[in-house]
Amino acid sequence: MTDQRMNTGDAGDAVNAEGLITREQFRRLADLVLKTSEGDQTFLSLHDASGGTTRFANNQIVQNVNTHRVSLAVTVAFGRQQGTATATDFGEDAIRDMVRRATAIARVSPEDPEYMKPLPPQDYVPLDTMQQDTALADPDKRIAYAAEAIQLCQANGLTAAGIVASSVAAVGLAAKTGLFAYEPRTEAKFSITAMGGEATGWAANAHRSIDALGVSARTRVAIHKAKQTANPREIPPGRYTVILEPSAIACLIGPMIWTMDAKSFYKRTSPYEGKLGRLIMDRRLTLSNQTRHPDLLGNGFNSEGLPAEDLVWIHNGVLKQLRYDRYTAQEHHVHPSPAFDAPYLSGEGAEAANIEELIRSTPRGILVTNFWYIRDVNPTDMTLTGMTRDGVFLIEDGHITAPLVNFRWHESPFRAFSNVEAFTAPTDAVSNENWKMQLPAMKIADFNFSSVTRF
Amino acid sequence: MIDRDEVIELVLSRVRGSGAEYGDVRMLESRSQVIYGEDRRIARVQDSEDSGFGVRVLYRGAWGFASSSVLTAGEVRRVSDLAIAIAKGSATLVNDPVTLCPEPIHVDSVVTSARVDPFSVPLEEKTHLLLETMEILHKQAGVARSSAGLWARRDKKVFASTEGSKLQFDLLAVEGDFEATAVHDGRFASRGFNTPHLRTGYELITDAQFLTEAPRVAAQAVEKVKAPEVTAGPYDLLLDPEHLSLTIHESCGHPSELDRALGYEANYAGTSFLTPDKLGSFRYGSSHINLVADNTEPETLAATGYDDDGVACQRWDIIREGVFVGYCTNREVAPKIGQSRSRGSNRADGWGSVPMVRIANIGLESGQSNVDDMIADIKHGIYIEGHGSFSIDQRRYNFQFGGDAFWLIENGKRTHMLRDVIYHGITPEFWGTCDAVADRSHRRRYGFITCGKGQPGQSGWMTHAAAHARFRNVSVIPGRAGA
Repeated sequence: MTDQRMNTGDAGDAVNAEGLITREQFRRLADLVLKTSEGDQTFLSLHDASGGTTRFANNQIVQNVNTHRVSLAVTVAFGRQQGTATATDFGEDAIRDMVRRATAIARVSPEDPEYMKPLPPQDYVPLDTMQQDTALADPDKRIAYAAEAIQLCQANGLTAAGIVASSVAAVGLAAKTGLFAYEPRTEAKFSITAMGGEATGWAANAHRSIDALGVSARTRVAIHKAKQTANPREIPPGRYTVILEPSAIACLIGPMIWTMDAKSFYKRTSPYEGKLGRLIMDRRLTLSNQTRHPDLLGNGFNSEGLPAEDLVWIHNGVLKQLRYDRYTAQEHHVHPSPAFDAPYLSGEGAEAANIEELIRSTPRGILVTNFWYIRDVNPTDMTLTGMTRDGVFLIEDGHITAPLVNFRWHESPFRAFSNVEAFTAPTDAVSNENWKMQLPAMKIADFNFSSVTRF
Repeated sequence: MIDRDEVIELVLSRVRGSGAEYGDVRMLESRSQVIYGEDRRIARVQDSEDSGFGVRVLYRGAWGFASSSVLTAGEVRRVSDLAIAIAKGSATLVNDPVTLCPEPIHVDSVVTSARVDPFSVPLEEKTHLLLETMEILHKQAGVARSSAGLWARRDKKVFASTEGSKLQFDLLAVEGDFEATAVHDGRFASRGFNTPHLRTGYELITDAQFLTEAPRVAAQAVEKVKAPEVTAGPYDLLLDPEHLSLTIHESCGHPSELDRALGYEANYAGTSFLTPDKLGSFRYGSSHINLVADNTEPETLAATGYDDDGVACQRWDIIREGVFVGYCTNREVAPKIGQSRSRGSNRADGWGSVPMVRIANIGLESGQSNVDDMIADIKHGIYIEGHGSFSIDQRRYNFQFGGDAFWLIENGKRTHMLRDVIYHGITPEFWGTCDAVADRSHRRRYGFITCGKGQPGQSGWMTHAAAHARFRNVSVIPGRAGA
């Protein structure tokens, strides 16, 4: 560790008062690394992040943290031999040591037949990835939002648990090929569980802007759910028509996106085997990446520097794209895939105005707020399991008639999304185990609930 | 240039001068090495260094925490003052102020005992081992893919508190693994091998004999993908130590975290069915079940001498003869149920994270049985090895587990492999069906370094030891959507 920080200059366009590395500072830093490295190829990535989380439970703050982390990673390659080293100390000596370590690894590593040299310079279209309100948010601002949520719950005789989080980051990439990318990014999160005894209700959001999280509105949703879930009734497991709110839909879409990699497909270890170009979900559904959507968190480039792109992955139910890493793309003479970080699922044709309309058209079914602890059970057909959480309700004759004891379920997204009866327009979808998406609520027939729990 | 002692002095003097009742600083320098191979190639070799410091402040019963990777005097002052300011802000939203339970002052150093420093082993030796292992896996007809990896980490840490404790750590951890994936008839299935994660040296990898084990693993991957699907119904289960480590972790470890039971995790990881009113009386399992937390056993992941509260590691009962008798605690939550001392289970996953209650090294105490005799006493059952799919509700009642490999047991004999086995149940009912635990000669230790909890999420490290255990009449289903 050293106090002798690299002289990265004092060029303008500072990100915030925390002193994150600016574009010009990163360019100087990259010049030093690239000049220091003896490698045939050198690739540098920067992640300089500052932010905090205010966490509350039992109507009080239980954790309140701020962290500033500068992380650098350098990959040095000689031919097809490569090595990577990282460091959080960006003093000049530490940077030289990082390059030395990566070089030492590369010199003795076996050749990697799939090594790809870094991308050449790319054209990046600036995206609106940073919001000043989040960049400048301090702990007091987070505390104020937490207080707002707690007070609303208390006023309704409920107990609040949740988080308010904000972060700002400078992300940069550079390589000997001339590749250079830099982007400031902000992200804010809010989630709330309102509790009254055994009853719980939940809501959440994530956004570039902390002031766009809708803390008050989301808290009211959680309160409404919690008030509805007291004294749940147990009904037997089985196949039911379900209305899945967007957060629950996100829990099925996430695994579909993670497993789209082309390498597994061509090696016959993918759930998508035999499905490329074929119908894999209801014909009305289209899944795309919408980088510029103002309520999504699409970044300008991925971890290798590929520019963001709006791609349609599933069109009218047909699988159109796999996710190609650069080597597999070269093998199959296609373009490598950009990040799939702004998922947007839309339906064609008549949309229900809202979830209430989906409920009104349901003679008997189950409304699910969210899923929890989703894991794959059978990788071949993408059977997943999970639990319902924080609000599951019986629907009879178009009305919610009772809260229900939570279920375990076993279902494949392919099967579930082929049984879609109706849907709303896409809206904010955040869950505990996925990133931000825009998804509709859906009514799905024959969803497989396999057992019940005790609450 | 600012040295370690200067950082400590600077932080603690500012905290003491702020009117806070408590403060501590953790400085950490971590080095880790990851070598990962897949499909007969070395795909990644990464040497990571991660250093920084975190300051924790308790002001009028409220916490503040700030941290940074930048080690300059100015940044140390900024971060210290920020932690104090955050604590003061938190104090405006506290209705049950934190009172830390007492702990003796400790001044000590802890060093992992290792025969071979993993960072001293030549990289060529490690990559050669992984490449050779993958070559052996691919010699087996039917194997389509392979992976193999080695991992090592050294943490040099200093902890100092305003109470006067000062602790130094030099901790190592090592792990290695490989896997074969076979394809057959439109299906694919994997079979893995891994050493436990342990606080030891590279001897763990050498002793594991990858090259000797690889042919068996490859053959079992092929046998697994071709095996018949399990038929749904009740089975007696014989679970191996590695498999049990996950069952213990999810169904006993997490519910025994007192912060969960008190609602701290209600918005994310969940709460616990083991509420404080059940302590000392709740029937968790059969009389064969003795689950003991032991953070003093050498080489185990949570045996670090002291936790991140500066509390000495201990050994205590969680479940005694089937009855729930103990929690994992820290200095904050222990007094909330009237306990006078923390169990020393407060851990952070790095300098940038605030410590919280984590699962201890909870293990199943060995019994008196022999594994062959346990199988001989099963008419219709399944023997399960390793980890597979797992999921459990947010209060830790309804669980389901798969596994890495399954064999049908019929009339006291282990027969052929099965595929897609899932068993499920309700935690106390399941542990209530245990009627035998194997003797200590069958005991093995497996651990986790990816136990997720907290917002922002942190990864907890702990070891769960067990010998084989038998469970009667457990509900089993095939793992597919149409089942």
